[in-house]
Amino acid sequence: MADRRKEKSPYTEDRNIPGAFEGETVTRRRLMVGSVHAFGAMATAAIGLPALGFALGPVFERQRARWEDVGTPEDFVDFTYRPKVITVESGAGEVGKTTVYVRKHNEEVDGPVKDSYDDFVAISTRCMHLGCPVRYIDASQRFVCPCHGGVYDFVGKVSGGPPVRPLDRFYTRVRRGRLEIGPRYSVNSELRRFSPRDAGQPLDGIGQYLYPRRFTTPELD
Amino acid sequence: MPKLKLPNPIPDQLRPRPQRPGEGNGRKSTKDVVIESGRDAGISVVDWVDERTSLSGAARWTMFRKVPKGTNWFYTLGSATMFAFLSQAVTGVFLAMYYDPSPTRAYESTRHITNEVFLGEFVRGMHKWGATVMMVLIFLHMGRTFFFGAYKYPRELNWVVGVVLLVLTMIMSLTGYLLPFDQRSFWATIVADNINGTGPFLGPYLADFLRAGPEFGATTLARFYSIHMLLVPGAIAALIGVHLYLVAKLGTTAPPWVKAEEPEQLRTEKV
Amino acid sequence: MNQREKEQYLREYSVLKAQGKPFFPYAVAKDSVMAFLVLVAIIAMSLVLGAELGPKADPTTTTYTPRPEWYFFFLFELLRVIKPAELTQAATIGIPTLCLILLIMLPFYDRGPERRPERRPIATTAGIITIVAMAYLTYLGASAGSPTDIEMKAPSDLDRQAVAQFDQGKLVAAQSGCLACHKIGHNGNDGPGPELSEVGARLPREAIARTLENPTAPMPSYAALRRDEPEQFDAMVEFLSQLR
Repeated sequence: MADRRKEKSPYTEDRNIPGAFEGETVTRRRLMVGSVHAFGAMATAAIGLPALGFALGPVFERQRARWEDVGTPEDFVDFTYRPKVITVESGAGEVGKTTVYVRKHNEEVDGPVKDSYDDFVAISTRCMHLGCPVRYIDASQRFVCPCHGGVYDFVGKVSGGPPVRPLDRFYTRVRRGRLEIGPRYSVNSELRRFSPRDAGQPLDGIGQYLYPRRFTTPELD
Repeated sequence: MPKLKLPNPIPDQLRPRPQRPGEGNGRKSTKDVVIESGRDAGISVVDWVDERTSLSGAARWTMFRKVPKGTNWFYTLGSATMFAFLSQAVTGVFLAMYYDPSPTRAYESTRHITNEVFLGEFVRGMHKWGATVMMVLIFLHMGRTFFFGAYKYPRELNWVVGVVLLVLTMIMSLTGYLLPFDQRSFWATIVADNINGTGPFLGPYLADFLRAGPEFGATTLARFYSIHMLLVPGAIAALIGVHLYLVAKLGTTAPPWVKAEEPEQLRTEKV
Repeated sequence: MNQREKEQYLREYSVLKAQGKPFFPYAVAKDSVMAFLVLVAIIAMSLVLGAELGPKADPTTTTYTPRPEWYFFFLFELLRVIKPAELTQAATIGIPTLCLILLIMLPFYDRGPERRPERRPIATTAGIITIVAMAYLTYLGASAGSPTDIEMKAPSDLDRQAVAQFDQGKLVAAQSGCLACHKIGHNGNDGPGPELSEVGARLPREAIARTLENPTAPMPSYAALRRDEPEQFDAMVEFLSQLR
C-alpha cells in the first residue's frame, strides 16, 4: 500500500513522476502536458486538414452533365453497333475521350422503350470486370474483353467470365435532329439503371449498398 | 575533447619512417611537410566535425560491430536492394528534369527523353530495369529471411518493416509505369484504380481520390507523379533507416546451420 | 518461443557474434562487390534491352490488349483464373489482402525456436509452394495471348494451298470471337464453351458447319456469316475440321 501522504503531495518529485524536478507541482506539469497535446493537435490540424481537403476535394465535386453530338439518328441501325468517340472529361485532351457503341433501340431484344433517354442504346467500352477496353465482334455478336476473359452478349449482359455486371451505358437523347450522348450510368443484371459505378462493383442484391453512389455523379438536366 | 582513436598498434605503413643518419640535417624535406600537414588537416577536419556532433561513436558502432560467424553471400541481398533503390533515386532525379506530368505532354516528353536527350534512353533504361532488378532482389532478400528463419525473435519488428517496404516498392513500380503514358501505362492504371474501387464502402471514394475525379482526367497523372516521386520514396527512405537501425542494433543472423561452439569457460561452468 | 528459449538464442547468438568478423571491412567488401554487380546488371539490361516506349495512351481504343509489367503477372493471372463473377472481389482484394496479412503477421504465428529450414517442414513447404505458385501464375500470365490470336500450326501433311486456307480460316475464327468462350490450343478461355483444340477429331465437317449455323444457346449463330460471306464461313469450317 502506497504512502497516502506521498499520494497527496502537490509536488511531482514526491510522486516519483518521470522527469520530476524540485519545486515542480502536479498542476503545473498537467498544464504543460495539456498545452503540448492541445497546441500540437491544433498545429497538426492546421497543416493536415487543409492539405487533406485539398487532396480530397475532387472526391466531393459534382460533375456537370455533358451531351456530345454523335450525328443524326438515321446514322444508326438496330441490329448492329456503330463505334463513336465522345469526350467525357474536359481539359485532359485525348485522354478525356472514350469510345461508345451506339445502336437504335430494338424492341425484340431490349423490350419496350422505357423513357425519352431509351430510344438509342449507347454502350460503354469499359469492361465491367476491371475496366479494360472491350471490342464488339460482329460475327458472334459479342463484346469481348482482352484482359481477363470477360464476354458480353448483344445487349451487354455478361455471358461468361469474371465481369460482375452488364456493360455500362450512356443516356441518349435527340435534340434538334441530332443524337446526343449524355452521362454514363450503370445497370444491374436486369438492366435497371443506377448511378455510374466503377468497374468491378456488382449492383445485384447487396452490391448496390456495398458500393454506394459517389458524390461526383452528375445530375441530368 | 574526444579524439579519433588510431588503431593500436599502428600499422607499419602509417608509422613515420625513421630518419636515416644525416638525412635532412634536422630539417624536413618539403615533400614530407606537405604530406604531414595534409594528414593533419584531414584529422583536424574530422575532429572538428566530431567535436560538434559526436558522430564517431555512432560510426564506430555501426561499422565495427561484428557480423556472426558463417555470414555468406546471401547476406548481401539486403544491401543490394538498398543499392538498387539508391540507383533508382539518382536516375529518377535526372529523369524528372525532362519529364512533364500533364496528360497532353507526358508521352511527348518521354519520347523526347528516349529519342533526343543525350544518353536519354540509357538513363530511362536504367530506371526501368532498375525497377525490375530491385523487385527481384527484394523477393530474394525476403526468401532468404524466410528460409533462414531470420524473422524470429528478436527480429519480428524488422520483418514487419520489411514487408511494408515490399508493399511500398510495389506501389512505386505501379505508379511508376503510368508515367511514360503509353498504352500499357494507361490501361494498367485503369485496372489498378478499379481494383482499389472494389473495396466495399470506401472503395468507390478511394478510386475517385486516386483519379482526382470520376474519370481519368487532367490531374490524375500529376497525382500519380507526386505519389511516385515524393510520397512513397520518402516513406521508403525513412523505413530503410528504421530497417538498418534494427539490423545494426540486433545484429544480422547467423546461417541457421552454424552452431555456436561454447567457449571453454561456459562449458566448465555447466559441469 | 518461451523465455528460456529466447535467452538460449541470445546466448548462442552472442557467442557466434563474438567469433565473427567486423562488419567493416569484411561484410562491406562483399556488399560492395554485390552493389557493383547490381549496377553492372542494370547497365547491361539498359544497354541490351533499351527503354521501349509503346504507342501513346489511347482511351478510345477497342483493339489494344493490355498487359502489366512482368512482376505483376501473378496478380494479373490470378484475376484471369478466377472466373465466376461472384468471386471477382475475392480475386481483386480478398486474396491479396489475406496473403499480405499472412505475410506481415508471419513472426507472430510462427513462433517456434527452430530456424533450420529442414527442421521447419511446414514453413519450408509453405514457402516453396508459394514460390512455385507465383512462378506458375507468372508463367501463365506471360503466355496469355490476345483474344484474337490463335497460335495453331497447320498440320504438316497439308500442301501449300491447304495451309493458306488453314491460315485464312484461323484468322476468321480468331476475329469471330470464338476464343471468348472456347479454348483453341494455348489460346482462349476455358469455358463456357468446350475446348476446340481437337474438335476435328470429334466432329465431321458437316456437323461443325451445322453447329455454327444452329448452335445451342448461349452460343451465337454464324448463319449471317454463311449468308453474307460464304468463303470466310467455309474457311473457318475447314480450319476447325483440321484441328485434331
